[in-house]
Amino acid sequence: MNRRHFIQLATLTSAGFALSGTCAFADWKVRRPVNIILPYKAGGGTDSYARAVASAGDGLFPVPFVVVNKPGSSGMVGATEAARGRPDGTTVLLTSAGSFLLTSMLRDTDVTPLESFRIVAQIGKLTTSLMVPYDSPYQSLDDLVADIKARPGQVRWAHTGNGGFHNVAGQGFLDSNDLDAVGVPFKGGSATRAAVIGEQVSFGMIGIQQAAGFEEQLRPLALNSDTRDTFMTDVPTFAEAGYDAVDVSSPIIVFAPKDTPDDVVAALEAALKEITSSQAFIDAMAERGNAPVYLPGAEAEANLRAMKENAGPIISALK
Amino acid sequence: MEIFAALASVLIDPIILMWVLAAAVVGMVVGAIPGLTASAAIAMLLPVTFYMQPLAALAFLYVIGKSGRYGGSIAAILFNTPGTAASAATQIDGYPLSRRGMSTKAMKVATLSSIIGDYVGEILLIAGVGIIAAIALKLGPPELFAVYFAAFVVIGSVIGKSITRGLASAALGVLIKMVGLDPISFEERFTFGSFDLTNGISLVPLMIGIFVLGEVFSQLEARGKPIAPVDAPDSEDTRAMNRLTWAEYKPCVPHVIRSSFIGSFIGMLPGLGSAIAAFVAYGEGKRRARNPQEWGKGALEGIAAPEAANNAVSGPSMAPLLTLGIPGSTIGAILVGVFLIHGIQVGPTLFLTQKELVYQLFACGLVGIAAYGLIGYFGASFVGRFILKIPTDVLYPVIFLTSFIAAYSARGNLFDVIVMVVAGFGGWLMKRYDFNPAAFVISFVLAGGAEETFRQSLLLSDHGVLIFVTRPVALAFLILGVVAVAARARTLGKQAKQASLNDA
Repeated sequence: MNRRHFIQLATLTSAGFALSGTCAFADWKVRRPVNIILPYKAGGGTDSYARAVASAGDGLFPVPFVVVNKPGSSGMVGATEAARGRPDGTTVLLTSAGSFLLTSMLRDTDVTPLESFRIVAQIGKLTTSLMVPYDSPYQSLDDLVADIKARPGQVRWAHTGNGGFHNVAGQGFLDSNDLDAVGVPFKGGSATRAAVIGEQVSFGMIGIQQAAGFEEQLRPLALNSDTRDTFMTDVPTFAEAGYDAVDVSSPIIVFAPKDTPDDVVAALEAALKEITSSQAFIDAMAERGNAPVYLPGAEAEANLRAMKENAGPIISALK
Repeated sequence: MEIFAALASVLIDPIILMWVLAAAVVGMVVGAIPGLTASAAIAMLLPVTFYMQPLAALAFLYVIGKSGRYGGSIAAILFNTPGTAASAATQIDGYPLSRRGMSTKAMKVATLSSIIGDYVGEILLIAGVGIIAAIALKLGPPELFAVYFAAFVVIGSVIGKSITRGLASAALGVLIKMVGLDPISFEERFTFGSFDLTNGISLVPLMIGIFVLGEVFSQLEARGKPIAPVDAPDSEDTRAMNRLTWAEYKPCVPHVIRSSFIGSFIGMLPGLGSAIAAFVAYGEGKRRARNPQEWGKGALEGIAAPEAANNAVSGPSMAPLLTLGIPGSTIGAILVGVFLIHGIQVGPTLFLTQKELVYQLFACGLVGIAAYGLIGYFGASFVGRFILKIPTDVLYPVIFLTSFIAAYSARGNLFDVIVMVVAGFGGWLMKRYDFNPAAFVISFVLAGGAEETFRQSLLLSDHGVLIFVTRPVALAFLILGVVAVAARARTLGKQAKQASLNDA
């Protein structure tokens, strides 16, 4: 009797859970695991988002989320594979959408974020910032700008590779303030950070979360965003420091192949909303200095289109 | 001294010890299988470590890296196919020895040299992690380019019998490396409109193709011909021949010490790695040897030098990784991921927040070296003899299959399998027509970094190439390279003179 009672109770509670808020994805009958294609190596910044989604989303569907790393060609190998994937919701792409968009613009790739995919939802956002070595003579953005004006074309700055969102944001800042400095690409975030710390360059454009733990080696002077960072609250935005900048960031977006049906996309969107608001996901992100930024698919898509407009002139100048 | 406390805490923890021991065995076996590199094995085992305690996970992968670098020498000596790129230099002298039935002796020299090199590197790391990081940080693109330049030149001096064919092989390696995206401007080069080629040719499938599949094809060709017995029967004679005496190892000692420091130095420079260390050490060793004419024909010193160097890389390469987050090798790059997955931020504050963990990891390294050393010294010949007892009809098909799996599993990409097969035919042809596959692969490895740092330097410079002269460390390495060329030219001149005298 006790056992029967327990089972009844369990059925009731789980039904209750299903009714409260989870109904949007409860009727999606998925049989195979959901493969999250991640177009970078395991262990990188975007990878940690995918792993956090997979562990926080465990149990939402009868099948698990599986992270599949497909690195290569600045993220285009994985994106191409995901675009060709079965459009039934069991293949999705989780990527740094700013880099994906800008790479597709710079290289005219066959697969593009807006034409080859449907946007499910945004789950996070990477923001770039202008950093100088700790012992740098520049105490503020004003000092740096004055020096670049005094020595046009002689100040060197580091970024993570041509056409990346750090590069476009840095070039956007220089262009909109009529400044002339030479950009030097390094391979990825940690190499760029090391070049700035080692004073190989005068400043660098680096993701704000990369400064965590390097407070005695680096000083962020300005953040390329309209609001301040959740963790590094004392870094002013470019606007607060009194300079124009181009609004380029890299939202972390989950994409589904173009022909994925509406109800499946809606179910995934609802699941991602639930995952990003869960404590497990928030904690996993906070460990790396990131905060979840959930946006529904339609809003994320509008932002991405706006970024495409903003970056257009800078990209054509880089080509 | 934190290290002694850490060592004690590791030695009384049976679970950690078990993982270290498992890693020593796994790394050795994986390294010994031709075509399976230690970094490929670590990449494959990475998902397993997500569910382990941070120290166990890190120690497991770190020790696999060490014992894998050593295990590669087993395949190099026995099959003339390096188990890892780092042991490509070991095969130059290792294989001739094993053809003379002295494979066990060769493996003992490799084991001893690996252990000494590894301990030198690890102790330098523990003693000077802060200083190493400070030095590595001050070396920018111009200095790194100068090191690449010196490496190119030194490797040029160990290129095989025909200098023109060796140079042609090296040039081909550079050409193949150019396929893909330009590292600075992201223009496509030699891609012929193919999307797969935009990613360039990956090292792992290329290496497996050239060394492993190429060897299988050569064996296929040799079928029907009587096979020269590589292993003599297990008699009293062969046992005596394979015994290693102190008198034999003594001449190796200076080479081992010099190579350990070369390896340690190259290890602390980001992005160079153990293959380059091994070749530089081999080149330097040969240049300074009292018996350079024996090198390449089965000199024990020719095994000791590269083996000490490639293992010495392991420890110091952790310094820029732990303190700055710059990986010094592929294995290091994977380890960064492990730290991050366990929520540990790699960087200068690591030594404040996770000091205990870092020293425990170093302690696991020390224990791991002893573990693979003991297993290797007494077991490598057993493993080797076991592999040799397998009939070639069984062994080569298995290797053939493994190479396909290894090529696919590195990135899960079918294009890599095509690359491997094409490289396999390429490697077979190169061997057949006396081109030098090792020179090809090494210049392929060096070309990418050399181009990137060269072009970064030019962007950093106000006066073009003069940046290499105005930065003292860069200048020193360039001079070293030029001196090495001059010395090589002099010995070649002498040899030519002697040859003409002999003719007369």
